[in-house]
Amino acid sequence: MRLLMTASQIRGLPVVTVQGGEDVAEVRDVIYNPEAGRLVGVTLNKRGFLAGRSRDVLAAEAIHAIGQDAVMVLNESSLVAPDDAPDDVGHPATERNVLGDDILTEGGASLGKVVDLVLLVGSSGEVVGYQIDKAGGGQGYIPLPAQLSVSGVALVVPNITEEFIQDDLVGLGAAVDEFRARLGLT
Amino acid sequence: MRHLLVDARQRRIAAVLIGRGKKAQLVDWAQLSGFGPDAVMVVDEGALRPPSDDREQAAAAGKLELVGKRALSERGNELGELDDVTFDADTGVLEDLLIGGRRVPAGSLLGCGSYAAVLKETQENAP
Repeated sequence: MRLLMTASQIRGLPVVTVQGGEDVAEVRDVIYNPEAGRLVGVTLNKRGFLAGRSRDVLAAEAIHAIGQDAVMVLNESSLVAPDDAPDDVGHPATERNVLGDDILTEGGASLGKVVDLVLLVGSSGEVVGYQIDKAGGGQGYIPLPAQLSVSGVALVVPNITEEFIQDDLVGLGAAVDEFRARLGLT
Repeated sequence: MRHLLVDARQRRIAAVLIGRGKKAQLVDWAQLSGFGPDAVMVVDEGALRPPSDDREQAAAAGKLELVGKRALSERGNELGELDDVTFDADTGVLEDLLIGGRRVPAGSLLGCGSYAAVLKETQENAP
C-alpha cells in the first residue's frame, strides 16, 4: 500500500510498541534531511496528562512503520536519548528547516514557498514532495527529485517541476513517478 | 465478572482476573480446574494470588482488557475495534479475534497493551 502523508499529519501521532501495544510517546516534530531527501527521525512529546516535551528521540532506522493512525516501534528501547541517537537525529542542524523557503526552478522562476513536507510512509520515510504556497496564490503540491540541491534559503528544482504542480495529495502520488521518470532518476 | 490476561507472544490466556482494582486477584491458567460458561473452577482457594508485576497491575486496573480494545496493524493503521476473542477452554490458546465484524486468526496477534492490540500487516489487506 502506498501512502503519502504530510509532516503535519504525522505530528501528534501516537508512538505505539508492536510487542507491547503501549503508546509510549507521541510525535512532536519530524527531522528532515533535505540533501538526503528523507526523514531521519522524529522528536517526541510525552503521552497523557503530563504531556510535555520528551528528551528522547526516535531515529528513522528504529521506526517499524508510519501509518495513518500511529508510528510503530518494536519496543520502548527504540526511543533513545539524543546522545545515543545518530548525530543528525540527536543534534540536527537548525538550518535544515525548509519551511518558508523559496522554491526556484533552475531557470529562475519562483514556484512559491514550502509550507509542509510530503512523505512516502509505510517504511521508508522518503520525502517525495512539498506542499507549497504557490507564487500565483493558493496551495499546491510539487514532486521532488530523488536528489535536491539546497542553497541557502532557496530550494532549486528542475524546470519541469512547474508542469507537475498538483492540487492534492492523491494527484501528487501519481505525479511523483512520472516526474522522476521524466528526469531519468527512478 | 471476570477478565482475561492474555500473553500476546504465546497467544494464550495467561491468567483469569477475579475482581477489579485493589481487590483484584489472579488465577494462573494452570491453576484452573474448569472453565465453563457459568463459572471458573479452581483447584483450591490458594490458587488466587495478588498481581505481581506492572503488567498484572495494569490488568487489575482494567487497562489490558482485550475486548473493546483498538486494533492496530503493525503498519500503524487502525483496523477497528476488537469485539470478541475465542479460545480453547481446555488449553487457553486463543483461536480467533473478532475485529469490526471480521474473524481474524489469533496467530496474527503481535502485542496487546493498554493502548492497542497490534496485529500482523497481512490483516490490513484482508477483506
